Amino acid sequence: MTTPSDLYDLVIGPFAEFAFMRRGLVGVLALSLGAGPIGVFLMLRRMSLVGDAMAHAILPGAALGYLVAGLSLGFMTAGGLIAGFVVALLAGLVTRVTVLKEDAALASFYLISLAGGVVLVSLRGSNVDLLHVLFGSVLALDDPTLLMLGASASISLVVLAVLFRPLVLECVDPLFLRTVGKSGSVTHLGFLALVVLNLVAGFHALGTLLSVGLMMLPAFAARFWSATLEGMMAVATLVGIMSGCLGIILSYHLGTPTGPTIILCAGAIYLVSILIGRRNGLLIRFLPRAHLSA
Amino acid sequence: MITRLVLLAAFGLGISTSTVGAIEPIKTVASFSILADITKQIGGDRVSVDTLVGPEEDAHVYDPTPRDAVKIAVAKLVVINGLGFEGWIDRLIKLSAGAPKVTIASDGIVSHQTTIEGHERTDPHAWQDLRNVQIYARNIAESLIQIDPDHETLYRANLARYTEELATLDQDIRSAISAIPAERRKIVTTHDAFGYFAQAYGIEMIAPQGVSTEAEASAKDVARIIRQVKSEKIPAVFLENVSDHRLAERIATESGARMGGKLYSDALSKENAPAGTYIAMMKTNIRELTKALMP
Amino acid sequence: MRNRSNAITVRDLTLGYDRHPAVHHLDGCFAAGSLTAIIGPNGAGKSTLLKALAGTLPPLSGSVSFEGSKAKIAYLPQSADIDHDFPISVEDLVTTGLWQKTGPFGAFSQHDRTTVLEALDRVGLTGFEARILGTLSGGQLQRVLFARLMVQGADIILIDEPFAAIDTKTVRDLMHLVRHWHGEGRTILAVLHDMALVEEYFPDCLMLAREPVAWGKTSDVLTADHLAQARAMIEANDPHADLCERAA
Repeated sequence: MTTPSDLYDLVIGPFAEFAFMRRGLVGVLALSLGAGPIGVFLMLRRMSLVGDAMAHAILPGAALGYLVAGLSLGFMTAGGLIAGFVVALLAGLVTRVTVLKEDAALASFYLISLAGGVVLVSLRGSNVDLLHVLFGSVLALDDPTLLMLGASASISLVVLAVLFRPLVLECVDPLFLRTVGKSGSVTHLGFLALVVLNLVAGFHALGTLLSVGLMMLPAFAARFWSATLEGMMAVATLVGIMSGCLGIILSYHLGTPTGPTIILCAGAIYLVSILIGRRNGLLIRFLPRAHLSA
Repeated sequence: MITRLVLLAAFGLGISTSTVGAIEPIKTVASFSILADITKQIGGDRVSVDTLVGPEEDAHVYDPTPRDAVKIAVAKLVVINGLGFEGWIDRLIKLSAGAPKVTIASDGIVSHQTTIEGHERTDPHAWQDLRNVQIYARNIAESLIQIDPDHETLYRANLARYTEELATLDQDIRSAISAIPAERRKIVTTHDAFGYFAQAYGIEMIAPQGVSTEAEASAKDVARIIRQVKSEKIPAVFLENVSDHRLAERIATESGARMGGKLYSDALSKENAPAGTYIAMMKTNIRELTKALMP
Repeated sequence: MRNRSNAITVRDLTLGYDRHPAVHHLDGCFAAGSLTAIIGPNGAGKSTLLKALAGTLPPLSGSVSFEGSKAKIAYLPQSADIDHDFPISVEDLVTTGLWQKTGPFGAFSQHDRTTVLEALDRVGLTGFEARILGTLSGGQLQRVLFARLMVQGADIILIDEPFAAIDTKTVRDLMHLVRHWHGEGRTILAVLHDMALVEEYFPDCLMLAREPVAWGKTSDVLTADHLAQARAMIEANDPHADLCERAA
């Protein structure tokens, strides 16, 4: 029988004893606050694979930072951010102005960007795996990194709140938005900029897998628990935080690599949601329930 | 008439090659950068040394190329470490038709066993003890004398000078370490190559379990190493091999240890960097160690 | 006789895609407060005309002008562009109709909410406020969109084929609504395929077959001759067409 003190040792104790555990938790919390809602929008706009594409798109920016200042994390992160913004901007422009759709436009620029990055890296001569250097670990969050995650979360929430109505309308009925106002382009680009910010902040602090995974998997799970946009965003954030807690504790007790463990937890929650989620969960659909009178 | 001309030409050629042979340096191949340096110290201008595993390269994962086979084929002398360090060298030498003299530099040293990747093996990193390198130098000198007896005096002089330098450095290292309080003479390092140093000079080298170069770290491993450093009051961690530099910093900060600088174990650095020769390398290492361990 | 001003004036308007005209040299006007049906065979340029009037398609040549600088236009395109899977409620979607009044950031007053609920009532969807878009039938969705049109409170209303695959009752109800708007003095243009509807509800009619075939009172426009003419005028785009020589 597990006594309360056993439970304490299991769950609270490690966080009490080690600062790096607490920091990791705070980091994941901050990331979930921003990434959760953004992930929901990405999912609803059928842009779920954007995160992965972006990870490659930022390479030339990081490469330029490396060429300018060597292995300086500050320069490389800034370069990555700029590259991400430029790719997002160009993709958005091409989508609006030409006949190509969003997925083609983004893919085109991320491919060009990635190739450019590889060439730039080779110019310096050495075989440095830049992206490996750039991407951090949830177990190694120093003060500047935590601050950056916090800032990214705050900025994301504020911008989302401000852009909420145009963003929703741009998703649901973009033609209507175009006929009644001019905020469509700004909204679209502002949203893409937020995506880049969250992704780059996430890469820098936590690595690609964790950053993209924590953005998308909770959103997918949220689909099965809520039918409203606001509900989905809340559930996604919650799932992100839960995955973080669970993942870090499991990594502590089982000795598995922390980042992937957190994502596996998120994945597990997602799979469970598919089965038993209150909205569109599979079991709900197959279990007979009395129907309503009207 | 023709026959006499041919004989004359052959004679002339013979003389010129032997004189050329007398002036030309001895083509030598050293298996890795540290041996190359020692060989140059002993042989001076009399040797031209080719290195297989160059500075800042990793001998453990070295994959020999056809060019290496060519180098060995034309070499008169091949210097290897032995003790299982160069798993890939035997094949190369067998394939070489030139039959060079192979010198095992570590002949005659006292080796010990250690665990490498879970297996009990002979620890090959004998050069971390300066007294062993005196033996290395002597073995190399003997081989050179055998190949080129005309210059025995030169080789003996170089050997004496180098041995003297090594002895001085050995003393310096011992003094430096005795200046460190006894309870502070331990470090955590991902290198498994400092066994001989630890034995010779009395610094305890502790391996961090789990936190390695390749794999992604787990919270359990990080917690374990922090606990270990805290409980054993280890003053410094040398983790520059850990893939994420920031993780190493975090471990150091949270455990209260100092972050050590770069330690050179298996290879020299490139020429302009601080460990371009073997002696420079050992000096750098002891400097980093004292910097980290002195209170 | 009331001196009727013209809500929309079209001068020698040519519209098209890739320089092939979809609407060719259209010239005329829509009187203020008129209720006009736009009919014609497939490919006649009817949707294209509405797009231009709504301001989403720039003309290849010619012009569109509106009486008064602040003409409020509400445009209901063919429904394809709406993301039916998006988790938005009926009430929220209708509320977006207030955009021209509040902008993207303005607050909604109690009066605004009442307007929305009244509109929903008008289209027979009271009680549907919290329903999510994806759960509605085709007819219900169309009612929601009409409610949004209502909430927009525009002087000019452009509707493009609103009744494709919609049940008869909904069609009747929504046409009553259109008639109500007409009674309020709004200018309404609707692209339709159902001639019976046109005859029953629309006093004015424009028959378009890339070029105008007939424009005026419905009874004058809807003749067998005109219909035959319209059908004959529609051919595929000529890939080797020369530049149009007609004077502006």
